[in-house]
Amino acid sequence: MKKVTILGTLMIAIFASSFSSAVAAASNDSLTVYSTRKEHLIEPLFDAFTKKTGIKVSYLTGKGGALIERIKLEGKRTKADIFMTVDAGNLWYAATQNLFQPVESEIIETNIPAHLRDPEGLWTGLSVRARTIIYSTERVNPDELSTYQDLANKKWEGRLCLRTSKKVYTKSLVSSLIYHDGLEKTTDIVRGWIDNLAATPHAEDVHIMTSILAGQCDVGIVNSYYFGRLQAEDPNVALKLFWANQDSTGTHVNVSGAGVTKHSKNPESAIKLLEFLTSIEAQKIYVELNKEYPASQKIKADNLIALWGDFNQDKMNLSVAGKNQADSVSLMQREGYR
Amino acid sequence: MKSKKNNSNFLMGMLALSISFPLIVVCSAWFFPGTELWTHFAENLLPELITSTLMLLIGVGIGVSILGTILAYLVVMVEFPGRKWLEWALFMPFAIPAYVLAFVYLGVFDYSGYAQVWLREYTGMPGFDIRAGSWAIILTFTLVFYPYVYMMARASFKRQKIQMIEAGKMLGKKPFEVFWRISVPLARPAIAAGLLVTLMETLADFGVVSLFNYSTFTTAIYSAWNDFRSIEVAAQLASMLVLIAFFLIYFEKKARGKAKYYSSDVSHIRPYRATGFIGWLIFVFVFGVFMLSFAMPMLQLVIWSFDKYAEEISQRYSDYFSATGILTVSATILTVVVATLLALPSRRKDESKVLQLLIRFSTLGYALPGSVMAVGLLYGVQNISLVSIYLGGTSINHILFGSVILLLFAYISRFMAIAYNSTSASSEQIKPVFEQSARLLGSSRIRLIREVYLPMMAPGILAGGLLVAIDVMKELPATYLLRPFGWDTLAIRVFELSSEGLYDRAAIPALMMVFFGAIIMLLFIRLDSDKY
Repeated sequence: MKKVTILGTLMIAIFASSFSSAVAAASNDSLTVYSTRKEHLIEPLFDAFTKKTGIKVSYLTGKGGALIERIKLEGKRTKADIFMTVDAGNLWYAATQNLFQPVESEIIETNIPAHLRDPEGLWTGLSVRARTIIYSTERVNPDELSTYQDLANKKWEGRLCLRTSKKVYTKSLVSSLIYHDGLEKTTDIVRGWIDNLAATPHAEDVHIMTSILAGQCDVGIVNSYYFGRLQAEDPNVALKLFWANQDSTGTHVNVSGAGVTKHSKNPESAIKLLEFLTSIEAQKIYVELNKEYPASQKIKADNLIALWGDFNQDKMNLSVAGKNQADSVSLMQREGYR
Repeated sequence: MKSKKNNSNFLMGMLALSISFPLIVVCSAWFFPGTELWTHFAENLLPELITSTLMLLIGVGIGVSILGTILAYLVVMVEFPGRKWLEWALFMPFAIPAYVLAFVYLGVFDYSGYAQVWLREYTGMPGFDIRAGSWAIILTFTLVFYPYVYMMARASFKRQKIQMIEAGKMLGKKPFEVFWRISVPLARPAIAAGLLVTLMETLADFGVVSLFNYSTFTTAIYSAWNDFRSIEVAAQLASMLVLIAFFLIYFEKKARGKAKYYSSDVSHIRPYRATGFIGWLIFVFVFGVFMLSFAMPMLQLVIWSFDKYAEEISQRYSDYFSATGILTVSATILTVVVATLLALPSRRKDESKVLQLLIRFSTLGYALPGSVMAVGLLYGVQNISLVSIYLGGTSINHILFGSVILLLFAYISRFMAIAYNSTSASSEQIKPVFEQSARLLGSSRIRLIREVYLPMMAPGILAGGLLVAIDVMKELPATYLLRPFGWDTLAIRVFELSSEGLYDRAAIPALMMVFFGAIIMLLFIRLDSDKY
């Protein structure tokens, strides 16, 4: 009997605490964010917002596909006021699933350039990362490098490291190639890449960099901030970024971003948070925290990443990355890009 | 009287069915066609995936069977230097989540890891990509999962009649022949049971395979869901995992045969004594396994965590602790209670094939990837809500979504196999004669359960509970999707950091998990050594 009592008390405690958090989240001056961006990258931003406005922000992190399902199923009763994710393809998909409501805000429109926003105001980019070529300064002469397409060239045989096709960043890059070069030519490029691989595609960009350093390969393609983090720890690291496709389409960029959910209970505060995230104060936190490029036109990049120099961005509207995603994945699976 | 019997069968059946709820939802996806995607998968993905999944299952199966059995045999039958503490130490890898071991191994043994750097420097041998082919991932799975076979085989060897071994020795059989001809055949059901759990875990794994970028069936499931946004095809693919698991269970039953051992005699005598060179050779082997599967990874985690300790530790950790603790304790209690109810011995249950099938089905959730099961659960609740609204009622989504109830339910469904294996094994050892004599003496069933069955099943119940506790603590995908606000666990923290490539910071919560896991393991070992 005693066991039953203990069990009962425990259960009551659990339910009580889960309900109490639900109540707190529903009160008026608070917001709830569902985020695929990890806790350590968003918490400082929300802390700054709360300090400034007094509006509390609670958040739930998770994987993209799963969180989108959860918001969809929660429907009108969802606690989410904002859905925040990385990669334009994910934002585009969330928009097609009717997760967002359109937001009209002069502040956002002046802060963030148009190609980093949804045309209908359903979501906005908040930070920018370039996905570009990285090379060993010991074994590669930057004159040899030019474009993503060129990495399919025979001269890179056994020298290339790539990230798995299962990661969304790879999918978006290939989507952009399909947009610029068409399906057939992209197939040849991907085939060439695979032939040139020095190792099974890596699970993480971090592993690509360590593999180049160890001599397993000479070049790779990574998101700029991974290199930024590495360089911040070791300024003399024997790696460098190369801005791909400067003479043609520009370097592929991607965003992390967010939108206000359709069934937000508190859209005014949600818009306030979104506006805050585009402000100089928040954009600085983005840059410092993760070595990303600011999405705002109003501030300069962090010292470290400013040293990498200016580059031409691919101006393809980022929702294309989402639209082409199924094609891009089919293509990679057909070619056996793991 | 008769109707009462049927009642209890009916209740058990309903209980098993409700545990299977997420499974049923997943399997019902076949009502929705998804043809186009299937053609693409069938042409481009499935042939390779089926081969690589089979390779993995066969490799890991052979690996854990050999390693687990040999280790168990050595610690039970042979006296060698260091045996006493190694016997317990070999359980420790249970405490390490598979994906943590995988990222440590990649960090140490892949091309850029220091093991290879050192090799290249001192032997001049060329570097190699350990993720190519399947041998490295098979080895990794073998080292994480061998304790399942080790645990079961060890218990079985302990119960083997010493006389049989002695008879073999007297007939002039060499130690290896005794091992191969007598001990292994007798332990076959136990080895098969451990193997079954291992293979189901391997099938459901997503963390290790993604770190190695190895393609298995789960790859196709996630691709259908995340790339082609077809949750139906994802569920259809997932239900094929259920089918495979069903076959595995069938084979395990076959391997077990009709054999039922009502023996609980345990001997403490070790028939062989290995001293001198052979003894040390055995020590080096067993110790090597312990080093590779536990001590070395621990050391690596400690080294990684040193630098980042100040950066990572914060107030939030008390929340992670309490969430991990509460979820683990409550899910374990619930799972074990259900598993005990389902495993209570009764002759009537043997007669009902349907009930047995239902109970078996309810344990198949272990072969499903946690996130698939979680989404199945969400969709199931959604459908109930839709029906309820249609009938003029209200939606139940807002009560269940984002509450711990759903998450606890997912744990029960997912880990029923582990708990049920233990409780049913201990209930099978209860001789039918107990029920008969109790009935003859006019004792009620309740009393029979409370005063005879439960005490006799207690070791199995506790052992099952501790194993479930370790699994719940390590669980990631279902927790990640279903948890309410503020219920982040240590496993989630490890994932969030390691998926950003911040392995050194991830080492800190990982170490804490191993610490908790080790405490649970120690309890388990305490219990086990009381028993024997």
